[in-house]
Amino acid sequence: MNNTLVDVKNVTKDYRAGKVIVHALRGLDLAIHEGDFMSIVGPSGSGKTTLLNLVGALDTATSGEVSVFGNDLSTMGRRRRADLRLKSLGFVFQAYNLIPVLTARENVEFVLELQGVGSERRDIAFSTLDDLGMGDLADRQPNELSGGQQQRVAVARAVASRPRLVLADEPTANLDSENAEALLQMMRHLRDEQAMTFVFSTHDPLVVSYASRVVTLRDGRVVSDELKDPTSDAHEAGN
Amino acid sequence: MVSRSTLRIAWRNLGRNRKRTILALSAIAVGQLAFLSVAALMRGFGEQYLDSITGPMVGHIQIHAPRWRDDRSIDVTLRHVSATIAEVLQDPDVERASPRIYAPALAALEVEGFMSVVVGIDPAAESHPRGLVPGEHLSGQLGEHRVLVGAALAQKQTIEPGMEIAIVGQDVDGSIANDLFTVSGVIPSAIDIVHSQGIVMSLEDAQELFLMPDQAHEIVIHLSNPDRIGDVVARLSSLPLLRDAEVLPWQEILPQFVSILKLMEGYIFVVLFIVFLAAAAGIANTMLMSTFERTHEFGMLLSLGCGPGRLSRIIATEALLLGLAGVSIGTALGVGLVALTSGSGIDYAALGGSASSYEAAFAGITMSSHTFPKTYVSDVAVGVIAVLLTSLLSVTWPVLHIVRLEPMEAMRS
Repeated sequence: MNNTLVDVKNVTKDYRAGKVIVHALRGLDLAIHEGDFMSIVGPSGSGKTTLLNLVGALDTATSGEVSVFGNDLSTMGRRRRADLRLKSLGFVFQAYNLIPVLTARENVEFVLELQGVGSERRDIAFSTLDDLGMGDLADRQPNELSGGQQQRVAVARAVASRPRLVLADEPTANLDSENAEALLQMMRHLRDEQAMTFVFSTHDPLVVSYASRVVTLRDGRVVSDELKDPTSDAHEAGN
Repeated sequence: MVSRSTLRIAWRNLGRNRKRTILALSAIAVGQLAFLSVAALMRGFGEQYLDSITGPMVGHIQIHAPRWRDDRSIDVTLRHVSATIAEVLQDPDVERASPRIYAPALAALEVEGFMSVVVGIDPAAESHPRGLVPGEHLSGQLGEHRVLVGAALAQKQTIEPGMEIAIVGQDVDGSIANDLFTVSGVIPSAIDIVHSQGIVMSLEDAQELFLMPDQAHEIVIHLSNPDRIGDVVARLSSLPLLRDAEVLPWQEILPQFVSILKLMEGYIFVVLFIVFLAAAAGIANTMLMSTFERTHEFGMLLSLGCGPGRLSRIIATEALLLGLAGVSIGTALGVGLVALTSGSGIDYAALGGSASSYEAAFAGITMSSHTFPKTYVSDVAVGVIAVLLTSLLSVTWPVLHIVRLEPMEAMRS
């Protein structure tokens, strides 16, 4: 059995919207294992993004326990959570969220610099972009790149330091199917080659078709957790 | 320490909204330009003022017999003037020592008389640029019963070179002193009493006329380094020949001018405060707008693990770069403007529509309406430091906003 990277136990998350309290998660349990290529699916409002935010130490649970790499997030302060995000987690956002004034290479390099990587960060940034087919466009700024290209830069930024866990929120939402498929193949390649773990929140059937594990949420609870047989996966066979 | 990437992000962020950046830059540049221009005018005016005070009239230090300044009585004199001057000139900081006699007298060209003041001077000691008769051509026209007449007095009484003038006064014994002199020239002077009433003659002629052998009313001293006035006053006061005399720095002789110079200094800083208050508002507005617009971006950076400290440094660096660029432009414009006008000067009279410049007298000093602006390096430095401090202060609010941001809340904004 693979190591458990993330353990979510009986977690609730409530939001206050004016006078109304919204129960986004209602006693959710989930374990994420090393090497997972997991899709979290479910209708809007089911709690997918909330779950990713909790696992990514971007938000805190109302009750229950979220443990990431053995660290109970509820006991960690702001600074330690930021440190955890910086050193062990990678994020890919739906809207790319690149720094607009930096080039593709500088965007990747910036996070590496935050992580304390020395002068070699320039080469790491370039080779990561090159691996993702962006070597020729490394010196372009985000506004000079297409949506697919920007998302590949965002992936490069998330994976350049080889974090153990990459969290991607609707990574294909703004991409056409060709770009989306290319991106998923790249990420699965990274999972296979670099022993990284990927968790996606998605509505996209294409993402689901690539996943090795599909977790379905409804009303803030896990309603199904399905392991797929990799050998039956057409995409896997195609690789 | 600011990293290269922080500098890069900060610099490029300034280009994101060019119109806003240009407006803020303009506000800072105009502020520095206004400050340097006003400071240069005030400095030029102040130097001219100080030159007039410590130049021909008062000098840096004066020596008098005690109580002479009370009513300028002709019989209250300094004795052994030659020996005193010789001893004073021994002081390493003393550049020149000029003995003077002042005596009210009635002067007449033909029949009608008019009031004048006889000023007896040593032509050799007063021929330097800051003396009463600058230049050899003037000092050479004194002695052997020749006198120079103040320009305003000459104009008023229609006195011309070559005329004979009779002078009648009172000598130190109380007797009538009178003699006939030849007008050798007419002199304009920054000293009002010389300009409008003065009849300048050699010290020897004056001593002979008023029966004051080896005596004078005043010794005016110029120093090579005016910053040492206090030390020199202390040394001169201890000389045996001056034990009974009063040795005074110019600041004690004309305390009202010290106040005026301090007021001018204060005025410069009032301008500095007002100008940079406006600049601060410009920078603060720019940085606030820029920060609140980018809340989502900051949320993203926080979610990647970038700390609030790093974000604050980015914002502070942006403000500093904005301030530095603005103050550099303002300094270049200000220094350039002063350089353009420092040669020809600025005539307040002409600015006010007058065809010619004028001179105004105050407390015996004549001031020209023509001022030569001067840039002080210290003023440039004060302006630059003020802008940089203003820039840093103006990001206080944006930084407080940033350090309170939570990644998710910021990204939802």
